[in-house]
Amino acid sequence: MKSRLLSVGFMFLLTLCFTAMVSAVKVANQDRIQRNQELKLERIILKVLRFGTGRVSDRELSELFKTRIRKKEVEGRTLYLGLEADGRTLKGIAFPVGGPGFWGPIQGMVGLDREGLTVVGLAFYSHSETPGLGGRLTEDWFQNQFAGLKLPAGKEAGPIFELIPSGRTKKPGQLDAITGATMTSKAVERFLNRELAFFRDKLRPQAGEG
Amino acid sequence: MAKTPSHREIFISGLWRDNPVLRQVLGICSTLAATNLMVNTLVMNAGLIFSLCMSSLTVSLLRNVTPMRTRMMVQVLIIASYVIMVDIAIKAYLPEISEALGPYVGLIITNCIIMGRCEAFARNNPPLASLVDGLAVGLGYALVLIAIALIREPLGFGTLLGFKVMPPGFTPWTIMVMAPGAFFALGALTWLIRSLFPQTTGLAEGGR
Amino acid sequence: MEQLGLGTLFFAAIFTNNILLTNFLGLCPFLAISRDKKSALGLGAAVVFVMACTTALNHLVYHLLLVPLDLVHFRFIIFIVVIAAFVQLVELVVERFFTPLYYVLGIFLPLITVNCAILGASLFMIIRGYSLFQAVAYGAGSGIGWMLAIIAVGAIREKLQKTAKLPQSLEGPAITLLITGMMSLAFMAFSGMIQIQ
Repeated sequence: MKSRLLSVGFMFLLTLCFTAMVSAVKVANQDRIQRNQELKLERIILKVLRFGTGRVSDRELSELFKTRIRKKEVEGRTLYLGLEADGRTLKGIAFPVGGPGFWGPIQGMVGLDREGLTVVGLAFYSHSETPGLGGRLTEDWFQNQFAGLKLPAGKEAGPIFELIPSGRTKKPGQLDAITGATMTSKAVERFLNRELAFFRDKLRPQAGEG
Repeated sequence: MAKTPSHREIFISGLWRDNPVLRQVLGICSTLAATNLMVNTLVMNAGLIFSLCMSSLTVSLLRNVTPMRTRMMVQVLIIASYVIMVDIAIKAYLPEISEALGPYVGLIITNCIIMGRCEAFARNNPPLASLVDGLAVGLGYALVLIAIALIREPLGFGTLLGFKVMPPGFTPWTIMVMAPGAFFALGALTWLIRSLFPQTTGLAEGGR
Repeated sequence: MEQLGLGTLFFAAIFTNNILLTNFLGLCPFLAISRDKKSALGLGAAVVFVMACTTALNHLVYHLLLVPLDLVHFRFIIFIVVIAAFVQLVELVVERFFTPLYYVLGIFLPLITVNCAILGASLFMIIRGYSLFQAVAYGAGSGIGWMLAIIAVGAIREKLQKTAKLPQSLEGPAITLLITGMMSLAFMAFSGMIQIQ
């Protein structure tokens, strides 16, 4: 009985000790981790709006973001308006997109030109797809194909873009799917079309003002 | 109670003679996933070595006061705490790598090597010896994984640590950065080492 | 994660994103045990059961306990505790009420607690934001996928043992890894199999 009590007491003490250590480490690094998240978002927004921030330091990045990007809430979504060097003319609009992938939610950012009718950049920053297959959606070749994609003005029936197996001849609006990742490709096609249409119909009209 | 071997003996044993991966094929689960990029491998292994050394040290320091029945739980608690600290540190200072590694850093906790060394060595040996043991085993493990990454990254991406190392016109063997590539690389490496340095080990095959 | 049907998730966890052949988890016991078909089956069954139950349990613990109390960074240790406790419980129950079963399965249960795959399944489940039912489907599927991998590689090894004379350096871990590599390659072919409507 006494030994059992001793065991419990020991465990309790030890748990307390280590929990305290871990918590201390967490608290000490919390701000930094938060900052990293923010930086990641800023970097991606600047990337899809083609600000050319490939090798820029974190501080310069934040500076750039502060002066050249303005947030705007429209229909419950956050739009990021990119401004030219004069700080007033609109350069482009970035908006976050998200939807279910095959294995988990996928999140990305789409950058459009100032008219909001042509895509200038696209990047996915969070996903749980299979590495080497669906996971290839973050690769440059896949993301860069969206640059130049036009959102047809006026609500036409039909998807804004299609992902079809590579190797087939393509009409405008048809992009390469990821070979061997049919599920991920289909999922991206589905939610991204929906998001782009939503932007064109609901967000774009209100984006330019103010 | 066997006499504690000298530090030098411990070091050589962990690093080479009883190399955890090549001789005992232990603990490859969590780290193999990171071997498609050298930088990820280095970070993972640094994390593992830190956790292993600190855990061995702590278990050894507490070995005379730990009640018998709580032994396992105590080890898990200690190992988990250090691994969580490593995870937080990587998230804070190397965010991109943290994302690439995902849950695999946390899985260092279940890595059979750390648990194995605590149980087999740290529990019965003085702190400094345990630290040396942890360091040696960790380094031996790291060497093997670095070797695998040396195969996978250049062949699969054409780069090493981000620098292009393959001649232009080289088509990357993408298979090497996917799952099968890791198995083939480790299998081939094990085969190579075993044929170059055959050794009748007294250890049960793959057993702990 | 409304989109993914339970059936699809279940089959996908077994084949296209096999926790062992794609995610490298659960290798330790795999290499030691896969030689004997009977123990492989026993271990596999235990893993399926423990995986399905612990993913569900950890899901509840995470969403009902850790998130509200902002203790998310402790999830690693909490999950392990849940798994260890669950396995202990199962061992007790099986030993008491299903004694013959205990002699087949029971010895594997302590081994399972540190199986990276079990913890891994719970961690992946959190990252992917599954609902409770999806977590169970994923856990069960992953377990079966793991078992399938073990049995398949074990069977090949057994056959190889009987029909081929391997050089000494290749025997044991080396050949098992190479076979696993080929199996992993083969499973990648399944990725085109599953169609969502």
